[in-house]
Amino acid sequence: MTYQLTIEPLGQTVAVEAGQTLLDAALRAGVYLPHACCHGLCATCKVQVVEGDIEHGKASSFALMDFEREEGKCLACCARAESDVVIEAEIEEDPDSENLPVSDFAGVVTAIETLTPTIKAVRITLDAAGMRFQAGQYINLELPEGIGSRAFSIASPPAASPEIELNVRIVPGGQGTTYIHEQMRVGEKIRLTGPYGRFFVKKSARTPVLFMAGGSGLSSPRSMILDLLDEGFALPITLVYGQRHRGELYDHEQFVELAARHANFTYLPALSDEPPESDWTGFRGFVHEAAKAHFNNDFRGWKAYLCGPPQMVDAAITALMQGRLFERDIYTEKFISAADAQQVRSPLFRSL
Amino acid sequence: MDMKTDKKKLGLKEKYKLLTRDLGWETTYHTADEVFPYVKYEGIKVHDWGKWEDPFRLTMDAYWKYQAEKERKYYAIIDAHAQNNGHLHITDARYLSALKLFVQAISPGEYAAGKGFARLGREFPGVGPRVACQMQAIDEIRHAQTQIHAMSNYNKFYNGFHAFADARDRMWYCSLPRSFFDDALSAGPFEFMIAIGFSFEYVLTNLLFVPFMSGAAYNGDMATVTFGFSAQSDEARHMTLGLECIKFMLEQDPDNLPIVQRWIDKWFWRGFRILGVVGTMMDYMLPKRVMSWREAFEIYGAGNGGALFNDLARYGVRLPLEWNDAVKALDHMTHQLNLGLYQWSFGTAFHTGIPSDEDMAWLSKKYPDTFDKYYRPRWEHIKKLKEAGTPFVNTGLAKLCQVCQIPTPYTEPDDPTALCLRESEYKGELYHFCSDGCQRIFHDEPEKYIQAVLPMPQLFQPPLGGDIGAWMNWVGLKNGVDNGDYDGSEDQKNFAAWRATATSNQ
Ligand code: FES
Ligand SMILES: [Fe+2]
Repeated sequence: MTYQLTIEPLGQTVAVEAGQTLLDAALRAGVYLPHACCHGLCATCKVQVVEGDIEHGKASSFALMDFEREEGKCLACCARAESDVVIEAEIEEDPDSENLPVSDFAGVVTAIETLTPTIKAVRITLDAAGMRFQAGQYINLELPEGIGSRAFSIASPPAASPEIELNVRIVPGGQGTTYIHEQMRVGEKIRLTGPYGRFFVKKSARTPVLFMAGGSGLSSPRSMILDLLDEGFALPITLVYGQRHRGELYDHEQFVELAARHANFTYLPALSDEPPESDWTGFRGFVHEAAKAHFNNDFRGWKAYLCGPPQMVDAAITALMQGRLFERDIYTEKFISAADAQQVRSPLFRSL
Repeated sequence: MDMKTDKKKLGLKEKYKLLTRDLGWETTYHTADEVFPYVKYEGIKVHDWGKWEDPFRLTMDAYWKYQAEKERKYYAIIDAHAQNNGHLHITDARYLSALKLFVQAISPGEYAAGKGFARLGREFPGVGPRVACQMQAIDEIRHAQTQIHAMSNYNKFYNGFHAFADARDRMWYCSLPRSFFDDALSAGPFEFMIAIGFSFEYVLTNLLFVPFMSGAAYNGDMATVTFGFSAQSDEARHMTLGLECIKFMLEQDPDNLPIVQRWIDKWFWRGFRILGVVGTMMDYMLPKRVMSWREAFEIYGAGNGGALFNDLARYGVRLPLEWNDAVKALDHMTHQLNLGLYQWSFGTAFHTGIPSDEDMAWLSKKYPDTFDKYYRPRWEHIKKLKEAGTPFVNTGLAKLCQVCQIPTPYTEPDDPTALCLRESEYKGELYHFCSDGCQRIFHDEPEKYIQAVLPMPQLFQPPLGGDIGAWMNWVGLKNGVDNGDYDGSEDQKNFAAWRATATSNQ
């Protein structure tokens, strides 16, 4: 049994399974709710139930007192949904969120293109007016043959609607990406739901924007950069984009061309494993090293958006913090897996 | 009247701002430096107090409501515990030593923390931290009170509880936590936050509370379990305050890093020394054990602490200097301290004892590399002496560490057969230390530590002149009643007799 959990004041709706805690559902969907002990003892995760029925689970009677239960409070780390539920949590409203509703869409595959030996671009034209989304968001793509749905970031800007582009890296042994790489055909009808996620540019902050991307993490930054340039964003935009070698550096020409056309856009490609004898004249090394060198280890005044493999994101966060840019100005695109949720994490950072 | 008719509900953040911001006016009669005289001398540079995040947007009004409700609930349970003779439902009266140790060594620390946070609630210029510190000050006093009330039920029936307040100042093992809190209270506001808000509340709290509270639950002590739950519900706020403070210092200015690192080094080691007492309680004082000290450290120390230091590394903070010494001590510390407690058991306000065969089997299972090799033979020897009618006591005075104040019972990190002793001369006086960590801490601030009050030397000075009975009197305790071996004690006899009346027709 699956219910809908709506989290105010974000207005975001996520799915919650019967038996799953509200906290778990929110975190997995990328919505951070404050939490600490995860055992119903500390009351950090206390939220207000505005609508619907929940079951309190193992909430301690000191962490959640009787009068609070009567007022409709619950501890998200223990509470389970018994109907569709609306909660209000102690999270800040995001002035840059358009709080777009999630819906189902039908469409047809219009092009499949090989970007690198392991990454394919899939273009889908959606029926009717297409989907409204914010650059940086993702969709869940339904795949046939009982594979189920898979999440992909949208690589094209909202202005390209009703067409959207997905860049899909083949995961060895992964049913979903193998299907897309080997069986998906142009003309195929597909269904998807979206838009999901809270990874988008904080335009209202009016600060220069730094993107650090690597591996197959380029999709969201690409959509965000195209969107920003398209609407005439005037502040500096820098993209530091890394792959191992030149053959993997897809979309390189496009960014070179954009940088030539827009004075406020700087493009910094970095290759970590390019043969030394090649004619590559760009940066050799990792994304965080390229950024550190370019910014002279001082990122103050920027906002940074990170997308890519976990080690890249991790190294980037450290480099940024060493260069005095801190949590409130760093945004990462996160798909929290079951394994991540299990990991021992310190409560030092809320959103990193 | 011109009212804004914005129907939109205020967010929690805005509500909180409206309810607290008036506390933060710009001073005009005096300069800010005169009003907040203690925030600068430690060298911590702050450029913008507005960057302090307060994730718990709790208003005083809501705070009182919650805490009052917790108290009502708590005292209902404590009363029921007293009425139902809860003291007879514990596994064994041996367990009470853990509680005596807690009320003598830890509860006064809660009270001291209350004083410290009350001071910080006045001394920090930022409104967010001031409100949070005021609330924590009240929490800490509440914790001290509820703990003492929970123990008062036991105090009606058993020895060793009544003199906890004097024991805090005059018993040697209590001077370990007392000196920790005195050191913190006599430091500046930012160092106090690292000492208590960070080291104690975050790094140590799980290792302290979880073992004590689960020890209580395993041994049928519902009074203690209840105050544990009640205190735990404040813990998230406390932990967050400490962590926010450390982030704030590190983010405000790069020059703060070396100062913060020095405090982390210092307070980690001071905290680890307190854990010696907690670990010994876990390994030796619980009739029914929860987990070994080593296992607890692996989960809460190495696991949670390690995760925290991984995250702090992003700021350039490294592991505390003595982290490796702490890890090396894991398999030895509790055994060595308990040997100390036994041989000085004439000088305690709780009972000790020789571990039973069953206890020793458990210890060798939990400490396969060290217990049978180093410690079992000593207990076997001590057991023989007791059987021969010549129990082992140590009436000599060990050198006391000038910093952590323990009687240097521990061995070298790399050699469990050599006592670890360090000494330094300062202004013509010789000072002793238990470890490299404590010696280093001394040399960072020698003028502070030469003023330390160490209770044990009092015993050998006039008017006590080495008279143990007189010393116990001075603490308000009775020699031979409140101290010594559990085997043959009043507590043991009374518990057996009362339990027999409660469970049979005698
Ligand atoms: S996270 Fe501690 S009570 Fe839910
Ligand atoms: Fe020491």
